Amino acid sequence: MITGNGITKTFRQRGNVLAGRDVQALRGVDFAIAKGGAASFIGESGCGKTTLGRIIAGLETYDAGEISIGGTPMSGLKPKQRQPHFRKIQMIHQDPYSALNPTRTVHQTLQAPLALRAKQTGRSRQWMDERAAEVLALVGLDPGTVLSRYPHQLSGGMRQRVVIARALTVDPEMLVADEAVSMIDVSLRLGILALLKDLRERLGVSVLFITHDVATARYIGDDGELYVIYRGQVVERGPVDTVIADPVHPYTQSLLSAIPVLHGLELPGEQPVVPLESLDESQPDTGCLFARRCPFRTERCEGERPVLGRTECVPQEHACFHPERRSVVARPMSEV
Amino acid sequence: MPHPASSQAPGVRIDGLTVVYKTPAGELPAVRDVSLTLEPGTITGIVGESGSGKSTLALSLLNAVQPPGRIAAGSVEIDGLGDVVGLSGERLRKARGAHIGYVFQAAQNSLNPLKTVGKQLLDLGRSHGVDDLRGLVREARELLGRMGLDGARVLDSHQHELSGGMRQRVGIMLALVLNAHVVVLDEPTTALDMITQANILKIVREVHAERGLTTLVITHDIGVVAEVADRLAVMYGGRLVEQGPTREVLGAPRHPYTRGLIQAIPRLVGDIDEARALPGRPPTLATVPTAGCVFRERCALRMDVCETDDPAAVAHGTRIVACHAVKVREHA
Amino acid sequence: MSATLLPETTSTSAAMRRNFWRGVWRVMRRKPSRMAGVVILAGFILMAAFGPLFYPDHLPSDPDSISRPPSWEHWFGTDPQGRDVLTLVITGSRYVLLSAGVTALITVVVGTAIGLFSGFRRGRWDTVLMRITDMKLTIPSLPLLLVLATVWKFGNPLQMGLVLGLFGWGGVARAVRAQTLSLRERGFIEAARGLGLSTRHIIGKELLPSMAPYIAMNMLIAVTGAVYAQVGLFFLGVLPYESDNWGVMLNLAVFQAGAMITPNALGYLLAPLLAILLLTLGIVLVVDAMDEIFNPRLREE
Repeated sequence: MITGNGITKTFRQRGNVLAGRDVQALRGVDFAIAKGGAASFIGESGCGKTTLGRIIAGLETYDAGEISIGGTPMSGLKPKQRQPHFRKIQMIHQDPYSALNPTRTVHQTLQAPLALRAKQTGRSRQWMDERAAEVLALVGLDPGTVLSRYPHQLSGGMRQRVVIARALTVDPEMLVADEAVSMIDVSLRLGILALLKDLRERLGVSVLFITHDVATARYIGDDGELYVIYRGQVVERGPVDTVIADPVHPYTQSLLSAIPVLHGLELPGEQPVVPLESLDESQPDTGCLFARRCPFRTERCEGERPVLGRTECVPQEHACFHPERRSVVARPMSEV
Repeated sequence: MPHPASSQAPGVRIDGLTVVYKTPAGELPAVRDVSLTLEPGTITGIVGESGSGKSTLALSLLNAVQPPGRIAAGSVEIDGLGDVVGLSGERLRKARGAHIGYVFQAAQNSLNPLKTVGKQLLDLGRSHGVDDLRGLVREARELLGRMGLDGARVLDSHQHELSGGMRQRVGIMLALVLNAHVVVLDEPTTALDMITQANILKIVREVHAERGLTTLVITHDIGVVAEVADRLAVMYGGRLVEQGPTREVLGAPRHPYTRGLIQAIPRLVGDIDEARALPGRPPTLATVPTAGCVFRERCALRMDVCETDDPAAVAHGTRIVACHAVKVREHA
Repeated sequence: MSATLLPETTSTSAAMRRNFWRGVWRVMRRKPSRMAGVVILAGFILMAAFGPLFYPDHLPSDPDSISRPPSWEHWFGTDPQGRDVLTLVITGSRYVLLSAGVTALITVVVGTAIGLFSGFRRGRWDTVLMRITDMKLTIPSLPLLLVLATVWKFGNPLQMGLVLGLFGWGGVARAVRAQTLSLRERGFIEAARGLGLSTRHIIGKELLPSMAPYIAMNMLIAVTGAVYAQVGLFFLGVLPYESDNWGVMLNLAVFQAGAMITPNALGYLLAPLLAILLLTLGIVLVVDAMDEIFNPRLREE
């Protein structure tokens, strides 16, 4: 179980004295990911989803809030003491090309973390070799052919599998996959997504999936939770299929409306929401963060900021004063 | 409207185009025997994965394939311009921009970071011998305004002051400002956010209609093509394996690759378990088979003939498909 | 499974080393110019190592043939003391190459260490070390060397190498730091940290190999720089003539034998110049192969 409460992060922009202003990447985010569970952070670039993922993986610091890993709060610990906890959370980077050292073979890449582990637990070299073969088999690669290869001899999909195998060498409790399929060829993406789902089921690893492509979030498991993040705030949160089928926040609706419709296979949603072009970003936000682009804003939205919570008749949590279901998602033609 | 659609959109006919790259292993074809007609006033989308040859095909339209690549065979006829493959030197340079506009990948920084957009516009005008530079700037401002930007402000900006979506709009402006009527967009929305992507695609559609263009969109994302294109062409391993009206191809794909590709797209609705990845991996220049069907390694319908004979592109009604299996089933 | 895997993996490192050298051989064979470069460099190293052994400490001088032009007997002629010029080039090569080697070693070791530490640690250490580097880079080394030469005679090539090396690491440090800064943002370094691997592993096994071509190139270029610097010093005549050095030869050829006036001493002038030229050429030709040697993709293609 990994939980976060009120995670806040501000990036100070240095260098440009005149135009420099602080960027609030995260404004008090709560999350909870159960053991073996799945969660997806979705939102546009710059919304803070990647920063949050990196904070959860221990690769970035945060200004305020509390992260607990397996019930242990991190704030009371020294950096050295935190490390073994954060090692349980492994990051899968977006770019499988830069995530592997081009000068090292797959064998060498896997041996380094395994050697560390063998030293800690007093295991033999033989165990290391067995374990390397085991993790490669788990990600669907043939150890015999892959071990001696350099990264450039592997396709994008295979590299991403090696990256996942490397993460598995430390027996992680959670994988944080940041846009893990966006650089993989279209015909192979589902394979990686299916692998993540499979690892959840077989090893009980939880998966945190970070993406701008909402559709991919469904494929790591339909029991997952979806967090829609806008400018550092979670604006809607609920079970994947509920949020996709019945979004209530206008921002979620805009995101879903923007997804291309496969004409010929699908019919477009009936009430697409198109956000207004944001005109002035320099003004401080007093009310709802989405108010300036929201086609449904009212006076209240401009003066007061809604917080994430539940209202009647809506199964998911949302941060909107005027939640309303709209049919924005395309439907398959076969269902009509 | 400053440009009545009366200016007839030109047609483009690519015929038997083969582009080869020189490698240590000899000359290998990146594009092999591709024939494709862009009807005047239509948007055609080319979909392919990495190594499919789609970008090389797009560059061939401008006869801009860089060494070690070269156009080995075939022609690219553009109405009012002739065979682009035969052009060279000054005439080719003038044709780029004036006849054919090219919008580079959104992810690439195709703008000069040291110059304002306006300066680059003037450079473009001068290099094409435009006398009325004021008119050019006015035209550019109108185009940017049409795309929802503050033209004067954008022309005064440097690249780093523009967001990804704004840069892409500037790219479209630069491609159209010299009044080109054939436009090639290479991965127009890669690395853009969903909402920005939807905006850009809407602009592409509208500008295409208003100015009477013939447009070619190159992408790896079927969704992008589905949104904008009238016709869809699917490339694999340097071959055009299937083409036809977008809706028909998406609704009833014929070629096993097209079918597999559509099935492999993560979808917002429908049964998760229906979707599955294609086995194997896309070929690279070095691994693409030189004889027989390029897709056979990953194909479920593979037959003996696929090993030896490269299937010819055969028209089936509105559809052109290059597959032995498709033929067999129809004869049977 | 383990039974079949074990023998394979215990011999992997040996096999990999074998593969590496096979790859190096392939890279070298790819262009004849690289082989030529290797032959030239090897020739110079052999010459410096064993050449002087064939000659006595004090070379025999023939008073009957002073400042002779090239002939069959003396390929590059003789010097004003009647010594064979070619012999002088050979005996002089040890000083030149030894000190250049020491310079290159110091440049690369100090430069890489400071650059790596600075780029990897960042923060305060980085600021301090880079200020020192900048200060060092602003010191005009030639005037300083001239001053140093008045108190220190540089009779020993190791001394010369040490001093030149301590003057030369600034550029390498800056370059290595820049490389480190960009590499440490790469996914595989971050992943290594996330996996809890030691800093020693990250620097030694992940960062350094990625920078190897860069460092090797800098090292070879440092050799040429050191050769020019010391030959220049000796040529200027600020250092005593006792040393066997190509620079001394150049100085004597111009100022004593009058190579600018009489064609008889032309061989005396040209021989050390040719040696320097050839050495530089050899290095340039080998540098061309560095990128391909250390990049597995280029190595194996």
